[in-house]
Amino acid sequence: MLYSAKTYDSQQRLSRWVRTGENADVPGTTAEGLKQYRRLFRNNINNTLTQAYPISLEVLSNEQWNKMVDGFYANHDAQTPHVWKLPFEFYQFARESDYAQKYGFPFLNDLLYFEWLEIDVYTMPNKYPEPFKENGDAMNDLIEVNREYSLERLEYPVHLYAAKESLNHKGNYFLLTYRTPKDFEVKFLDMPPLHVLFFEKISNERLTASQIIDQLLVQNNEIPKEQLAQNILGFIQTMMEEKVFLGFSENYLN
Amino acid sequence: MNNDINIGLGFRREIADEFLTGTSIKPDFIEVAPENWMDMGGYWHAKFREATEKYPLILHGLSLSIGSPEEPDWAFLKKLKPFLNEFNVEIYSEHLSFAKLDNAHLYDLLPIPFKQDSIKHVVKRIKQVQDFLEMRIAIENVSYYTPVDAEVTEDVFVKQIVEQADCNLLLDVNNVYVNSFNHKYDAEKFIDRMPLDKVRYIHMAGHHKISDELIIDTHGEAIIHPVYELFDYTLSKMDRNVPILLERDFNFPEMEELQKEMKNLRNICIKNQEQDVILS
Repeated sequence: MLYSAKTYDSQQRLSRWVRTGENADVPGTTAEGLKQYRRLFRNNINNTLTQAYPISLEVLSNEQWNKMVDGFYANHDAQTPHVWKLPFEFYQFARESDYAQKYGFPFLNDLLYFEWLEIDVYTMPNKYPEPFKENGDAMNDLIEVNREYSLERLEYPVHLYAAKESLNHKGNYFLLTYRTPKDFEVKFLDMPPLHVLFFEKISNERLTASQIIDQLLVQNNEIPKEQLAQNILGFIQTMMEEKVFLGFSENYLN
Repeated sequence: MNNDINIGLGFRREIADEFLTGTSIKPDFIEVAPENWMDMGGYWHAKFREATEKYPLILHGLSLSIGSPEEPDWAFLKKLKPFLNEFNVEIYSEHLSFAKLDNAHLYDLLPIPFKQDSIKHVVKRIKQVQDFLEMRIAIENVSYYTPVDAEVTEDVFVKQIVEQADCNLLLDVNNVYVNSFNHKYDAEKFIDRMPLDKVRYIHMAGHHKISDELIIDTHGEAIIHPVYELFDYTLSKMDRNVPILLERDFNFPEMEELQKEMKNLRNICIKNQEQDVILS
């Protein structure tokens, strides 16, 4: 660094003022100019966050929201050069600072994350599928999965109920957020645990549905094989209709 | 882009379809901030691709923070370089300001103290970035609402940095106007003191006068007459064409209004080009 200690100190004071609004005594500045920088900085960040979190904004009081945002500017060192990714850092900050507990809204972390997932999946870099065909044998051919998704566990079903109502339904929920090919629409799907197991295997391992069913039966032999197969077949059909499964791989098994 | 008159417009999501399928606006090129499009997939990736197939692209960065005390963001630059190459970008510009300090992005363009040590520091940073990207970058004179512990004037600060770093200048004429109003100096004299041979690109924009003492550089209004006049004056001092951008970031009017502003800019360029021909 070729800045003198004095110049660096001036920059730190200016940055501190902008982030906290605390009198920083920045040398050689005007009060009006400083006021504008603080205003512009806050507007910019606040606009980004309010656009990202419309539901959370509605659930929280203005005072609660502003306190959280002010805490974020002042205490969080933003890492991303892409301002549209900043809402994720806000979610992390809110979770680490435990605003859910402070505000008496235990669902707040899940709600913020749910809102972030929509942005995350909508903007995530394209993940191109392997060559696939539309028709095939659902049980014995490899299924090509749409890779533009995020599968997450939530404690509060904010994707199924209004945020405050979700308090009455605490449990284990699995939310699939995915982007449809061609029209790029983001959709949400609540998944029961059995389908999550199946989905994770079909997404991450080179296995057919019938091979996965055999594995699931080893883990849980209480469900008759035929019933499980019917259930999975129905799931595959729904996933095909929803464009979560794109078709059948053209790269055959050995 | 060739050496003819090129008038561009910022490619913004709110008016993206107008660029792609509309008939009202006809820019010669588009400009975007790479930070808003790099790493982006899905719908906006597709729209951006479509736009770059239709128009030449200029990049105007937001986060490089050339005035930061810390090292340049090498991780960002490593992603930026292939992005520049992929879209055959001839001009990449950044602001003469800092937007990151002590490892925290601020997403705002804060003024660098106009001091000799700042000049040395920023020159070194620009050289590092140019060496890495293997191209000259253009540095923009920013609007600022207060000086910070200044030792030299803004024009000396800008000129020395551009000359010592051997970079190009993105001359934002509206910023010159805004700063001359806010800090009470003569805008034409400021232009005279700029290294006009280094100007690679010009920005023009509207602004918002919030009081008798203060103008904010908003890019949300139409260009006002005195800024056109300053633009005309600037071109009269230059001996070649450079791309001209109309900046408009929000509060979008009917597209015909934007096209009219671009036409005004083109007419001023044509007038000055014809005068150059007569003089030569």
